[in-house]
Amino acid sequence: MLPLDNVRVLSFCTGGVGPDACKILGELGADVIKIESKDNLDFMRTIGPDINNIAGFNEANRSKRSFGVSLKTDRGKDLVSQLIKTADILVENFRGGVMRSLGFDYESVAKLNPDIIYVSSQGFGGGGPFSEHQAYGPMLSSASGMLSIWAQPDDPYPVGSNSPLPDHMASKHAVIAALAALDYRRRTGKGQFIDMAQTEVAVSLIGEHYLEYTYNDYVPKPMGNRSAYAAPHGCYACKGADEWCAIAVFTDDEWYAFCDALGDPEWTDDPKFADQVARLRNVDELDEHVREWTSQHDAYVVMETLQAAGVAAGVVQRAPDTLADPQLKWDGAVIELDHPVAGKRLYPGIPFRMSGVSGMQSTPAPMLGEHTEEIARDILGLSEDEISRLLNEDVLHSPANTESSGKGMFD
Amino acid sequence: MADSQKGALTGYRVLDLTDSRGAYCAKLFADLGADVIKIERPEGDPGRSMPPFVNDVPHPEKSLHFLHRNANKRGMTLDIETDDGRAILQALVKVSDVLIENGDPDDMADLGLDYIALRELNPNLVMASMTEFGRSGPYKYRKGSNLVDFAMSGVMITSGYPGKEPALQPGSPAYDAASVHTAIAVLGALYMRDAIGGGQHVDISVHESSRMGLYPWIVPNYSYALNPGGPPPTSETRMGAAVYPVYPCKDGLIRVVALTPRQWDALVRVLGNPEVLMMEEWRSFMYRIGNADDLYALMLGFTEKYTMLELFEAGKREGVPIAPILNIKDFYDSPHTKARDYFVEMNHPVAGKADYPGPPYKWSETPAAMHRPAPCLGEHNEEILCGELGYSKDDLVALKGAGVI
Repeated sequence: MLPLDNVRVLSFCTGGVGPDACKILGELGADVIKIESKDNLDFMRTIGPDINNIAGFNEANRSKRSFGVSLKTDRGKDLVSQLIKTADILVENFRGGVMRSLGFDYESVAKLNPDIIYVSSQGFGGGGPFSEHQAYGPMLSSASGMLSIWAQPDDPYPVGSNSPLPDHMASKHAVIAALAALDYRRRTGKGQFIDMAQTEVAVSLIGEHYLEYTYNDYVPKPMGNRSAYAAPHGCYACKGADEWCAIAVFTDDEWYAFCDALGDPEWTDDPKFADQVARLRNVDELDEHVREWTSQHDAYVVMETLQAAGVAAGVVQRAPDTLADPQLKWDGAVIELDHPVAGKRLYPGIPFRMSGVSGMQSTPAPMLGEHTEEIARDILGLSEDEISRLLNEDVLHSPANTESSGKGMFD
Repeated sequence: MADSQKGALTGYRVLDLTDSRGAYCAKLFADLGADVIKIERPEGDPGRSMPPFVNDVPHPEKSLHFLHRNANKRGMTLDIETDDGRAILQALVKVSDVLIENGDPDDMADLGLDYIALRELNPNLVMASMTEFGRSGPYKYRKGSNLVDFAMSGVMITSGYPGKEPALQPGSPAYDAASVHTAIAVLGALYMRDAIGGGQHVDISVHESSRMGLYPWIVPNYSYALNPGGPPPTSETRMGAAVYPVYPCKDGLIRVVALTPRQWDALVRVLGNPEVLMMEEWRSFMYRIGNADDLYALMLGFTEKYTMLELFEAGKREGVPIAPILNIKDFYDSPHTKARDYFVEMNHPVAGKADYPGPPYKWSETPAAMHRPAPCLGEHNEEILCGELGYSKDDLVALKGAGVI
């Protein structure tokens, strides 16, 4: 048995946050139906030459079915309304105002299904002047204060990451909201509307730095990788191009272990490094010595040497490191799925074990409209003739009436 | 006051045995109304000594990290390595729904408090164990840290300036990734508890959950790029501002997320259609990435004429996502933040009064809310032991004297 057996989720989602949230609900056993249209594609379907063969899309949209439908037609909207009546949860992360213009805002949806749980997630959240501003992942760190401190102190300006973090933390908060609301409904019968601001998730993740402002009237500045209570503490360049190992030494015992692992070179006896206070005071010089050692070794040798001595150290990993990581192999962390267009590809698996659940698994992302016909037949009760007619009229979309070679947005 | 507040999880009791690494997980439950009891060693959670501090003065009640991540919880002290302490924990387990811990892999078993033992006391218990690298496997006994775990999450290599040291994401990204996944699994277990007739054990590691969850696209991007003729390989290095450029403006910085030619055209309109930006090549996203330095030099003359908010609004009007790079004061002061009543004033008996970040969502039926500041060390010992578990005041004195609480 799976946690969300017999739960149905309708996903009105695009990009990363909404799709990732619904993917997780699907992995937990919900029947997740992605509502999508060929004339208004999830933008992640448009970043490559084939809408059904894009890594990011096929990752974020696993474990769901696709119902292809035109939301520009009354008949299409009517069919979606009927699906809404059968749903437990609706998740949407379109630009603020879009669901209202489609007639699927919470008030309208609650008339169709008063007990529904409606999770709405925009970059800035509802009820304020920025509610309808678009927010792609990279904007969340920018607009939340996170980017302003995500840098080395000597960087000309902060650039953070070229990954869109922390959007995939926002998606997990949306799942938490959906699950808590579902459990509340199980106990009381009541649904509700949840309005999650992705920027506020980012703020929650750095709340201690906000308290620096509200308690201390200090506007935090970038600290880089340094720590106020550990040294050495940073990523140290190792042998080879752009190879790094992170090292963190907190206590004096860890420091002795660190020195021992290095073979107790003479510089480690310098009183400048004798205890944590001294090491923090002389951290520039300390880092020079550490770099001198790391630069002579492979990052993995540095990690293994230090870990064997009981010092926290880890290679700054890339994807191939992940695939070779002995612990992740032991965990079975990476899985292979066979997608009808993309073929056999690797994806992250479900990263936790629940002793009362067996058979939790991912299924490949759907092609656009892959499940339109079965959903129309099995849930909406339409006849085969009616389904063919709606496909011909482009009210419903299936892979057969959808051009897969959409124009790539980067062209 | 606190008891009258109703959240979606009001009615559940959560025992929070985590330290600073897992505090965020239990806070997620506390924000939604669960009765979360933070259980600390008598000398206090090591998280109480984590900087920064109120007025920069180290004090166990003034760690800002602790104050943020333990708000909305009650707190008691307990040495579960003593027989009396263990008995109190066992009594609490009998009247609780969830226990979350992040000790070393064998810690709870060594104390006779692993899931097998606790299930005997309360078959409905959902127990979650968060470890650094796993409860079994080749890295079981390795040491992690905020920085080390983020380095191994696969995301860090994409942060910071090209050629320079990769930059740690502010906060505790890897630990928080483990926290949110743990919360998801625990909520799933609670939801199915009646259907399967009991609780269960959730097993999760920081290494696996951060690697798989912080940015799940890296592995599939790599896997897809292995296909001859497939999409170009994902860059797994620091590209700085080349992909999502940062430009100075009158009063700060902006970040532009123009991907499509249509979005680029909108950006050019926002900047008043300058001739030098009309060159056809600039419409290509890949060309802009490849010539980011030249573009930066060109853009300066135009972006600097406007304020962050002028560009933010103009981007919305014309159809190109432009974000202001707000610092922490800017976000706090933003009219949107004010309109959402996001910050909530809390009065901590020792740390004093200040505005705290609220939960990141608004709930129509069961508000997520700030109920109380983080507990002082042992603040609710009497309330819980005497008020709820039936210990006498004399017991309390004896337990204190013996160093159990």
